[in-house]
Amino acid sequence: MTEENAQIVVHGVSQVYRPPAGREVLALSDVSLEVQGREFIALLGPSGCGKSTLLYLIGGFLPTQQGSIRVDGKPVSGPGPDRGIVFQDFALFPWKTVRANVLYGLERMDLSRHERERRAQSFIDMVGLGGFEDSYPSQLSGGMKQRAAIARTLAIDPTILLMDEPFGALDSQTRRLMQSELLSIWQRTPKTVIFVTHDVQEAVFLAGRVAVMSARPGCIKAIVETQFDKADPHLLKSPDFVNKVDEIWNLVRDEAIVAQTARHP
Amino acid sequence: MARRDNGVTTPEQPPGGRSAGLRMVRQTLRTAAYGLPVVALLIAWETFARSGAVTMFILPPASAVAERIWADAAAGDLWRNILTTMYRAFSGFLLGSLIGVAIGIGISRNALARWFFDPIISIGFPMPKVAFLPVIILWLGVFDVSKIAMVTIEVLFPVVTATVIGLQGVNRSVIWSARNLGASQRQLLWHVMIPAAFPQIFTGIQVALPIALIVAVFTEMAMGGYGLGASMMSASRLADSRGVFAGIVAIALVGYCVVKLMGLLRRRVLIWHAEAVMPSTV
Ligand SMILES: Nc1ncnc2c1ncn2[C@@H]1O[C@H](COP(=O)(O)OP(=O)(O)OP(=O)(O)O)[C@@H](O)[C@H]1O
Ligand SMILES: [Mg+2]
Repeated sequence: MTEENAQIVVHGVSQVYRPPAGREVLALSDVSLEVQGREFIALLGPSGCGKSTLLYLIGGFLPTQQGSIRVDGKPVSGPGPDRGIVFQDFALFPWKTVRANVLYGLERMDLSRHERERRAQSFIDMVGLGGFEDSYPSQLSGGMKQRAAIARTLAIDPTILLMDEPFGALDSQTRRLMQSELLSIWQRTPKTVIFVTHDVQEAVFLAGRVAVMSARPGCIKAIVETQFDKADPHLLKSPDFVNKVDEIWNLVRDEAIVAQTARHP
Repeated sequence: MARRDNGVTTPEQPPGGRSAGLRMVRQTLRTAAYGLPVVALLIAWETFARSGAVTMFILPPASAVAERIWADAAAGDLWRNILTTMYRAFSGFLLGSLIGVAIGIGISRNALARWFFDPIISIGFPMPKVAFLPVIILWLGVFDVSKIAMVTIEVLFPVVTATVIGLQGVNRSVIWSARNLGASQRQLLWHVMIPAAFPQIFTGIQVALPIALIVAVFTEMAMGGYGLGASMMSASRLADSRGVFAGIVAIALVGYCVVKLMGLLRRRVLIWHAEAVMPSTV
């Protein structure tokens, strides 16, 4: 993989948080990562290792302090609808109903009213929130909020999807459904997905590559190929798959231990 | 910001006859319990005033004051005074709220505005603004304009402060979401910042409302020219103690109604807010 044909190129990125009070935190240290167009890559790593921070940088929400991030050859200079993000804390507009939340991005696109409504409804139905179109976020459960946020981001049909633990608040049944919906969207429409999760099995199942990050300050510790036939109904029980999950789980666990000892020396 | 309130999806069970009756009884009891301390105060006032410990001039009994209010209401004086005071209080309140929100937005978005207004607001807020009354009278006279100006100035401060705090507190990722979905800087302000800060802004406006009434009555007391405050002062000058107490009770009633209405408005406007379903005492 060379720099020229990768869609997202993260090169030597470090990020320091300087809170107005308290000490500085080095969140990312010399992170380099290349993501091809149409690739589905999962990001794993212990809590606090900088996964969200990396997504914010690629999304253009935080300015790059050190190193460079290029998307489609251009340096990232701010957020844009080409890179849709699903935030870890959902970040819905609490004063808007579910429908209005999903419509917000669509209203900024060149679509007829009818088309907007149709698209909003289809994504609301897809995430299983039909019947809750007129509810406000404060009236939804955590998992429902999360699904609303996913619908809102998918609706604007971004070419790059940055998803920060998007299924974290879901029960395993809903999670399975959402996983296959995401996969089918990814297979139907050309999309590059960076998918943060703590669930190793989910990462191996969804992604073609899994990047494991080290404990804070985060860098890319290993990248593992995880190409499997996702249509295989027995995939999750196949030995190859199970071994792969095991291999990656060991990598993640080592880093989690490092993170743990860093907190309690 | 009109919110539709028919969008709540949880279908309520239609209240059955027995439980609806029960609920009504409970509601009535709750209302009665709420009013009880006030009733107790009125009874205490009445008994004390009639006990002979004080003269009727020092403290006229509650019933006599009520009679007086009734008579004033029948004669039309009461309504004229209430309307006059309300006109002054509300003009200043609306003006102060609008200017206050505008200044607050300015402070949180524009460095020049922040540089200019921040220290002025900080110094001015704890100051008794009524100390400027003599100056205002010199500049603007003793008529409506100066009273409304005084109310406006007092209302400004809590509204500015609430607006600034509200805008500062808007969740980072909510702002980022809007930017991500294609909102321009201008849309960010109107579509996201202001609605997100609105509960806080509304709180500031709610705090300012009784202040507006207080200042309106006070300026009337100081400058005359009809209104509840002025009528109390003239009653006092004529040694009409019932008139004075009638004024106090009228102000209390008007203030209570206005503040309650504001609370109702809040629940309507902030229908999306989790607090909207909680009972409110403000
Ligand atoms: N706004 C901030 N100010 C100061 N420090 C921050 C800020 N945001 C994050 N950090 C620090 O940066 C580090 C990385 O945070 P980040 O949110 O990127 O972690 P993460 O990998 O997403 O964790 P998790 O899996 O728990 O979501 C953390 O250790 C955190 O303490
Ligand atoms: Mg995170």
